[in-house]
Amino acid sequence: MKTLRAALATTASVALLAACSGGTEAGEGKDSRTLTLTLASVDQGSVEDVVKAFEKANPGVEVRYTTSGADQYQQQIRTQLSSGTAPDVMSVWPGNGNPAATHVLAEPGYLRDLSDRPWAAKLPDATRSVAQYDGKTYNALFGQNGIGAVYNQQALKESGLTAPTTWTELLAFCKDAAARKTPAFALGLQDNWVTQIVQYALVATTVYGPERDFDQKMQAGQVTFAGSAWQTAMDKYRTMEKEGCFQKNPLGTNYEASQQLAATGKTLGIVQGNWVIALLKEKNPKGTFTLKPLPADDKPADALMPAAAGAGYGVNAKAKNEELALKWVDFVMSPKGMNLYVEKQGGLPTLPGTGYTVDPSLTELSRFITDDRTVPFMDQLWPNAKVQQTMLSGLQEIFSGQAEPKDVLKSMDSDYKAGS
Amino acid sequence: MIAPTDQPGKPVVPAPGPAPVPAPVRRSQTASTWWFLLPAMLLFVFVVLVPSARGVYYAFTDWDGLDPDLSFVGLDNFTDLTRDEDAVQAIWHTLLIALAITVIQNLIGLLLALGVNSAIKSRNLLRVFLFAPAVITQIVTAYLWRNLLGPDGAVNSLLGGVGLDSWQQNWLGDPDTALWSVVGVTVWQYSGYSMVIFLAGLQSVPAEIHEAAAIDGAGPVRRFWSVTRPLLTPALTINLMLSSIGGLKLFDQVYALTGGGPGHATDTLSTLIYKDAFTLGEFGYSIALAVVLTLVVAVVSTGQYFMLARTEKAAS
Repeated sequence: MKTLRAALATTASVALLAACSGGTEAGEGKDSRTLTLTLASVDQGSVEDVVKAFEKANPGVEVRYTTSGADQYQQQIRTQLSSGTAPDVMSVWPGNGNPAATHVLAEPGYLRDLSDRPWAAKLPDATRSVAQYDGKTYNALFGQNGIGAVYNQQALKESGLTAPTTWTELLAFCKDAAARKTPAFALGLQDNWVTQIVQYALVATTVYGPERDFDQKMQAGQVTFAGSAWQTAMDKYRTMEKEGCFQKNPLGTNYEASQQLAATGKTLGIVQGNWVIALLKEKNPKGTFTLKPLPADDKPADALMPAAAGAGYGVNAKAKNEELALKWVDFVMSPKGMNLYVEKQGGLPTLPGTGYTVDPSLTELSRFITDDRTVPFMDQLWPNAKVQQTMLSGLQEIFSGQAEPKDVLKSMDSDYKAGS
Repeated sequence: MIAPTDQPGKPVVPAPGPAPVPAPVRRSQTASTWWFLLPAMLLFVFVVLVPSARGVYYAFTDWDGLDPDLSFVGLDNFTDLTRDEDAVQAIWHTLLIALAITVIQNLIGLLLALGVNSAIKSRNLLRVFLFAPAVITQIVTAYLWRNLLGPDGAVNSLLGGVGLDSWQQNWLGDPDTALWSVVGVTVWQYSGYSMVIFLAGLQSVPAEIHEAAAIDGAGPVRRFWSVTRPLLTPALTINLMLSSIGGLKLFDQVYALTGGGPGHATDTLSTLIYKDAFTLGEFGYSIALAVVLTLVVAVVSTGQYFMLARTEKAAS
């Protein structure tokens, strides 16, 4: 009897352990002739079409993919890489400064060198610099994005106002718009990543206008955030708020709610990246939206726009199906793949000669890129992710009266100096 | 089922141990009890204890969650913690939230329980409604409230509608109200939960004692204080323990409502642990924070347990 009990108990524990370990084997390729590529992407809403086209171009191939938002993705991919469960291909951000950026993932050897791919040599200089780590290309960057003021054309027409081109005009525009009960711009500061957008738009002209080599000087330790024109930009950001450029209570408004305001004409526009245009159109399919530079001084000819490659794709150094993974990045960088992506995302392709027709809403951005009047998103060249996080919560603190710009900039300096 | 007259003070804690049995049978029963416990214990050891102990090791390293190359840094993470303003602030927020939730939630829970325990009509329906929020997932409640508490949300519209414009607030965007909004939402969700536990306690108070007290001339307040209150102590113990531990660990509501902002105005230890690990990749430091949180929860709940056990003993 005792033995029987012991046997029963042992069987039960083995069964339990087996139940816990189950699941990892589940769902392996249903057909042995089907080749499977695993993919993790942040390109929700656009990767789906590219996957379909890729599968069509490669019969017998199945792409098993997951999509998630940027925050969630950055958290997941690190855990997957360190535990050896990462997919063959994954979204990777250009440059440095965020937890899933090229430098961060290439340094410990998690990414395969893509320098031998035919498209690698064709990348324009600005893009190549952020696709590389230690002189080798690791990131298939397919699209470019820009930040500026996105205007709701119908709302603008109704208000009888015109988009400003200088800082003085901007403040007058804000006053007039506020007087008409339709504030100039929607601002959703409750989601802390949003806080940086206006700052970047202002920094492009105020900081990089007079000092295009500001980043090199930062790296060399010749300049700091505190005491630089970053302070001017932050002050201008606050002036915009004081002059009524934004709707009431931006800190209690989230990104989603801010889109709603701009899409439905409750504000005349929103300061955001071009990616917001597709979202605004979803909320108001009849609306027309255009992206223009956000003026930061009184000389329109000196204006610069933040524009940079968005997240691209890297290949796992330990990819189970490397051949297929390389086929994927080559496809993404082909005119067909690139156009599919940027058309859906509302950006611009990184490689010239794809035969892509620029959406009328992005004409100005495209002109700024061609004229070399853009600067990368500032965080892409920062040594660690902390500088950006300090800035994001710092800007929330400034807007809620808990901190002064100079304190935030000082904290950013000390995080910057802590290095990678 | 425990007869109320036998165990008036222990409505929710089953009587421990089996009935006494002759010695030889008892020995073999003990042996078989161990065999039955073994699978669960093995599981607990290998799924909870071993990984936790291994996790604690990383609190003494500079692991970034990615690079397998890590080095031992001794107590550095813990000394950094004392110098980190955000961490100190988060510890303070955590304690404040836990205290506020424990007090307010149990007070409201008790009042609700007394209310729905009385002979009012539709009390069963009320019980269901009051308990309903506790059944909803935290993240759903938080997103719901995030919209209700927005600048143009239902709460401000309602206040405006009844002429209380001056009470309108930027609930989640103002550092002065954000923390209390988080407390409010949590209390809204879990007061019904505390109510159910109090209700179970109240229903085990024998009616005869109340009648006897009434005949002796005790009014409702006196009856509550001298009869109901001492007999409710076990329910109170459980409620206080659950709400204070829940308050100390609070994560979902904070993360979904404010993300710890504006700035760090609502960051708790849990949200900071999450951000340091997954946004900044400072796993070693984040695990050190987690160790601190575990210690805080352990100290607070053990202290509370012994204090309440003494009160319970005095009351019985």
